Amino acid sequence: MPAPNKRSRTFRRVYRKVPGGKTVLHYKKRKPSKAKCGKCKAILKGVPRERPYKMRTMAKTKKRPERPYGGALCSKCTREVFKEKARSKK
Amino acid sequence: MIEIGRLAIKTAGRDAGCKCVVVEILDNNYVLIDGGTRRRKCNIIHLEPLNEVIKIKKGASHEEVNAEFKKLKLEVRETKPKETKDRPKKVRKEKKKIEEKGDKGKKKAKKEGKKKSEVKKEEKLSDKLTKEGKKNK
Ligand SMILES: [Zn+2]
Repeated sequence: MPAPNKRSRTFRRVYRKVPGGKTVLHYKKRKPSKAKCGKCKAILKGVPRERPYKMRTMAKTKKRPERPYGGALCSKCTREVFKEKARSKK
Repeated sequence: MIEIGRLAIKTAGRDAGCKCVVVEILDNNYVLIDGGTRRRKCNIIHLEPLNEVIKIKKGASHEEVNAEFKKLKLEVRETKPKETKDRPKKVRKEKKKIEEKGDKGKKKAKKEGKKKSEVKKEEKLSDKLTKEGKKNK
């Protein structure tokens, strides 16, 4: 029987192959929800879904698309934002 | 709307939100742009044209475009070539030298050890002799 705090599903279960050839069960904390667009709530592409300790090890360029509003707005919404800006200047 | 000298705002990619000017029309879909963005080929879908038109030649150089942009007090993107820095090169230590050094050190140690032990034996022997001598006396 696993430890009492690991009997519930608050932890996610990951099968790991250990060097000895066995597969063992590891308990890990669940991943956070996917990043969403601030305007239309669509799921953002190119933004990894990882725990903070793993996000800290990643490079900045790996965590968001390299464009203005990258990682905050989706590509469709950024286009709309810039189009509105261009049209309001006329 | 899309013609040579037309000012536009780029709406997609890394240069999104930057003002640029159409320098050359390549085909039905693509144009060459320069100015606030990098000098590059661009799909016209990714451009939002503005009202202004600048007088420039077809295929105007980067300097000409820059001069026109500075007259209008617009931002210009200057791309510098990367400076090559002198990195500290990793020098591999030669294995042979280390081995020789190690061997020498070991040999020396061994020799010294031998000497010491020999010396001790001699001392012991001398002690025994002296003791025997005392007994004899
Ligand atoms: Zn959106």
